[in-house]
Amino acid sequence: MNTPALSATVKEKSTTRKGLSEKTRRTTAFYLMISPWFIVFLIFGLYPLLYGLYLSFTNFVGFNINNLKIVGFKNYVNVFQDSDAMYSLGRTLYVSIIYVPISTAIGLLLALLLNRKIRGVGIYRTIFYLPSIVPVVSIGLMFRFLYADQDGILNNILKFLHLPTVNWLDYDHATFSLIIMMLWGAGAGILINLAGLKGISKDLYEAASIDGASTFRQFMRITAPLMTPVIFFNVIMGIINALQIYIQPILLTGTKLLDSPIRPNYFYTVHAFQQIFAYQRYAYGMALLWIMFIVILMMTIIVFTTSKYWVYYETDQEG
Amino acid sequence: MKKKLATLLVLFLSTVLVLSACGSKSTTNDDKMAGGTNASTDAGATKSTKSGDPVTVRFNMGDGEITKDQIKEFEAANPNIKIQREDVDATKLAAQLATGEAPDIIRMTGVNDLPSYVIRGIAMDLTSRIETSTLIKMDDFTPAVNVYRFDGKVQGKGPIYGIPKDFSPDFTIWVNKKLFEAAGVPVPSQTEPLTYNQLFELAKKLTIVKDGKVIQYGLSGGRGEADLPFLMDYLLSKGVKLSSDDNSKIDFTKPEVKEALQFWVDGVKGNYGPNVVNQDKTAWGGEPFLADKLAMFQSGYWFSGLLRSDEKAKTHLDDYIMIPAPIAEGGKRVSPTGSATGAIINSATKHPDETWKVYEWFFGGKPAEDRAKSGWGVPAYKHLLPMLPQATAFDKQTFTVLQDELKYSGEFIEMNPYLINGNTLLQKQLTPVYFGKATLDSAMAALTNDANRIIQESKDAVPSS
Repeated sequence: MNTPALSATVKEKSTTRKGLSEKTRRTTAFYLMISPWFIVFLIFGLYPLLYGLYLSFTNFVGFNINNLKIVGFKNYVNVFQDSDAMYSLGRTLYVSIIYVPISTAIGLLLALLLNRKIRGVGIYRTIFYLPSIVPVVSIGLMFRFLYADQDGILNNILKFLHLPTVNWLDYDHATFSLIIMMLWGAGAGILINLAGLKGISKDLYEAASIDGASTFRQFMRITAPLMTPVIFFNVIMGIINALQIYIQPILLTGTKLLDSPIRPNYFYTVHAFQQIFAYQRYAYGMALLWIMFIVILMMTIIVFTTSKYWVYYETDQEG
Repeated sequence: MKKKLATLLVLFLSTVLVLSACGSKSTTNDDKMAGGTNASTDAGATKSTKSGDPVTVRFNMGDGEITKDQIKEFEAANPNIKIQREDVDATKLAAQLATGEAPDIIRMTGVNDLPSYVIRGIAMDLTSRIETSTLIKMDDFTPAVNVYRFDGKVQGKGPIYGIPKDFSPDFTIWVNKKLFEAAGVPVPSQTEPLTYNQLFELAKKLTIVKDGKVIQYGLSGGRGEADLPFLMDYLLSKGVKLSSDDNSKIDFTKPEVKEALQFWVDGVKGNYGPNVVNQDKTAWGGEPFLADKLAMFQSGYWFSGLLRSDEKAKTHLDDYIMIPAPIAEGGKRVSPTGSATGAIINSATKHPDETWKVYEWFFGGKPAEDRAKSGWGVPAYKHLLPMLPQATAFDKQTFTVLQDELKYSGEFIEMNPYLINGNTLLQKQLTPVYFGKATLDSAMAALTNDANRIIQESKDAVPSS
C-alpha cells in the first residue's frame, strides 16, 4: 500500500473542506441523507396528522369544511361517553393481550425450528412465511369458507366424524375464530427472528456444549437472552398491529367495508372507521383515532420502561 | 436535555401555527358549501375552457350502466365535451365530498341519499334546466321520479334535484312456483297483495331444514334479515312516521317498529334466508333464488333483467312470477321504490352547462331508451313504459303485475335527511338480537340514541338549520 500517497490525498481533502469540523460535516451529511424521507414525511405524514388533530377540535361532519366551529374538547369527552367506543376499546385490548404473546411465541418457535440444519429447510421457510404475504382479503374469504355454519369446511369435517357442528362465527366463538385467523399469519416474524438467531455466535453454543449444558439450558441461557431485543421489537410491533385490527373482523362476517362485524369483534378502529365513513362524523372519528394514538403510545412506553428488566443488549446503550 | 425538548416544542408549535394559517386561508377563499371548488382549481378550469380544449365531465356511474360505445357516440356529437366515467364507492365518495374532489355527476339512490345531499348543499337544483329541456318533459315523468324532489323537510315535494336512470317498486315478491308446488303450498294471488303476516307464514312453510342443514329457504330480501328500507316500507303501509316534522329527532321505539322487525328476528331464528347467524356463504338473497334454493325473494322489477340474463334461470323463466308488494296488517296498499338509482349534478361543478348536457343526454336521450328496452328497471318516463319487454309469457306476467304496482308507487318511504347510513346503525343493533344477546326493545332504544346523536351533530353543522 502506498501510504504516503494516501496520506497526501487525505491531507488534500482535509484542506479543501477547511473550516468545517468533522462533527458539522457528519451532521450535514446525516440531514442531507434523511431529507428526502423527511420532506415527504412532513408533507404527507405530519401535515395530515396535525390537520386531523385540528379537525378533532371542530364540528366537521364532511360537508361544512368552510363553516367549521371550534368545539374544544367536546369530541374527546364524547369518546368517553360513547359506550360503543369504550366497548370496542375493551375488546381490542382483550384481543391484543391474547394475540401478541401467542403470535410472538409462535414466530420465535417457528424460527427456532427453521434455524435447524434439516433437509428442505428452504421449502419449510417458504411454506411458513407464505401466509403472511397472502392478501388479507383472500385470507378473510378463505377463513369464511372454513368457518361457515352451513356447508363450511370445518363443520363438514365435524359432520364426517359424527361430531356436533359449531357455529364458529357466533357470539361465543367469533373472537376465538378471529384470533386463529390472525395467528395463521404469525409466520411474518420468522424473517426477523431468523436474522436474530443467525446473529448469535456459534462459539457460545460450542462452549456451552463443552460445559455439558442441555439444549433447553442453552436456549434459556443463550438464545432467549440474546433474542430479547428481537422479541422486544416484535412485541412493540405486535401491539401496534393488534390495536389497529380493522379489516379482518369485517371480512369474516361482512360483505362491504361499512358492514358491522359481529359484536364481540367490533373493535376500536372499526368503530372509528364507521363513524367517519358511514356516518360522516369526521371530527369525532379524528378524536377517536387520536385517543387510540395515545393508548398505543402509553402501551409502548410501558413496554419500553419494562424492557430494562428483560431486554438484554450485548453492548452498552447510550442514554 | 431540557434545551432539546424546548427546541422540539417550539418547532412543533410553529408547525401547528403555520398549518392552522394555511387552513384558515383556504376557508376564507371560498364560502361555498361542500363538494367544494377552490380558487386554484377554478382558475385552471377557466383557462382550460378559454383555450378551447374539450371540457372533461367526471361521471360517476357503473361500467355496465354507461357503455364505452355510448360515451363515444356522445363525444362524437359533442366534440367540446369528454366524459370520464368513474367508479366511486360510498367510502371513496364520502372522502371526495369532504375534500372537494367529487365527480360532476354523482350516482346515488334517490330514496336513501337525495335529501341528505340537498341539505348538505351538494345537489344542484335542476328544476329550471328540466323545465327548458327539449329532451326531458316534466309531465312525462312517472310518479316515482318525484323521489328526487325535496323541499327541505318532505321528500317528493319542492325543487327537483335529479332523475332516476330507472327504478322499481322494490318490495314486490319473486316466486319460484316449482318450489311452492314441491312443498304443497298454493301460489299466492298475482293481483291482491299479501300481508306481511301472511308472507312470513308462507316463508315458514317453505323453509325446509333437514339434519340441521337448510335444504330450501323460504324468504329473503337482500339478506334474510331486516333492513331499513323494509322497515320503512312496513311503516309507510301502516301510516307511521318516525322523524319529527323538522327531522331533528327520530324515534325507533314505536310499537310498529318492533312489530315489523319481529318478523325478521323470527325469520333469522327460523332460517328463512341466508343470514348472519347461519353464515350462509351467499353474498345476497338473489343467489339462492337463482339457484332454485329460495322460494320467495323480495326484490323489484329490475330482478327480471337478471333472471332473463342468468344462464341457468333463463332456461326455465316460466317457473318464476312476480307478485304484488306485501302490506302491513290493517295497513294501506303501497308499493314504493326502495332505491331509485339515478344521479345528481354536483353543485360545485366547474362546468355546469357541459355537465347538464351530459346529464340531459344520459337521463333523457338514447341511453334512457336503451335502458327501457333492456328491462332492467322501470323507465323514468311514461312514454318509455311500453318499451319494456313484453314478448314472452314471463315478460307479460311481470309487465302486468308491474302496471298495477305503479299505481301505488307515488308515495315514498321515510328517510331522515340528517341520518346518513341509518341502515348500518340498524344492522349493528339488530345483530345481537338475532343471536339472542339483546332484546328488540333494548336494541331500538340504543338505535334511537345513536341516530339522534348523529342527527343532532349533522343538523348543528348546517348553517341554515
